[in-house]
Amino acid sequence: MPMPFPELWSWLETRPLAEHIGFTWWFPFLESLHVLGVGLVVGSILMVDLRLLGLTALTYPVSRMTKELIPWTWGAFILTVITGFGLFMTRAATYIENPAFQIKLIGLVAAGVNMALFQFKTFRQVPNWDADAVIPTAGRRAGLASLALWIIVIFAGRWVGHII
Amino acid sequence: MKDNIANALAESSAREFAVYLLGNVPGLPPVAQSLHILAIAVIMASAVMVNLRLVGLAVPSQSPSEMIQRLLPWTFWALPVNLITGGLFVVARPNRYFYNPVAEWKFQMLVPVVLLAVVLYCMNVREPGYWEASPRRRNGARAIAATSLLLWLGIVLAGRWIAYTDYLYFLYE
Repeated sequence: MPMPFPELWSWLETRPLAEHIGFTWWFPFLESLHVLGVGLVVGSILMVDLRLLGLTALTYPVSRMTKELIPWTWGAFILTVITGFGLFMTRAATYIENPAFQIKLIGLVAAGVNMALFQFKTFRQVPNWDADAVIPTAGRRAGLASLALWIIVIFAGRWVGHII
Repeated sequence: MKDNIANALAESSAREFAVYLLGNVPGLPPVAQSLHILAIAVIMASAVMVNLRLVGLAVPSQSPSEMIQRLLPWTFWALPVNLITGGLFVVARPNRYFYNPVAEWKFQMLVPVVLLAVVLYCMNVREPGYWEASPRRRNGARAIAATSLLLWLGIVLAGRWIAYTDYLYFLYE
């Protein structure tokens, strides 16, 4: 899939910072932190998704689980965005054309939309079903979609390095 | 002993098989690596979350004993997945991993952290609520959790660094 702003990506990878990351121990350093962040993002989301699906942690209300886990998800997500951007800028023009990278981005956007829909529609009625083991279909569907999308993001993300 | 194991593996048919699989099954290397990362995410959601709870950093409303009982089995299921998906690469290229200092650190951290998780789990099975029964046990659990968190952090970071030991010039001086 052709991506817009070709000049921007080429400009990005010629930044001194990009070259510094690409040619020094910064690359593996950022990459190892990226894996750590990915583990925490997907791990914390997995816990919420399995609760939404009615599979685990059924004794805890959904709202309390999300409330306590979301700081971890967002904190780790910020870590992955910063480290991921650092990795990306070293070969931005190549990565942006990499189909695995494109699938990863689409998966991330879809996961974000799914989360927003859940947050602003389904979750508004949470007092009605907070402590239920089996929550409304919309909520279970959101949990399943989230699980599938994050697995796609992990696979596509790992595949990026095999295509370059 | 390490030399013997590495040599035996290098000359084994298991090695030939692993090399064959990685080279001939389309997409197997990235699939195995992705499953490895997914299993790491499961460990983050189980052992790491339990440890974060025990040191008082995460999910304050969840019961530590209940979390140990509910979540650590996930870790014990994820570990074999990591062993298989990671072991595939070790068996295929034993000399690359057996003589890699970062891989060595990773395993030196992995053995104790798994033992600590087993201790947390087993004592809680034998006596539910074991780790919350007295201030001494609570402190013990906190010490185990803090140690485990550092070890898991080291393991995840080291795992990625195995491929980049060239940057760690000080290891070869």
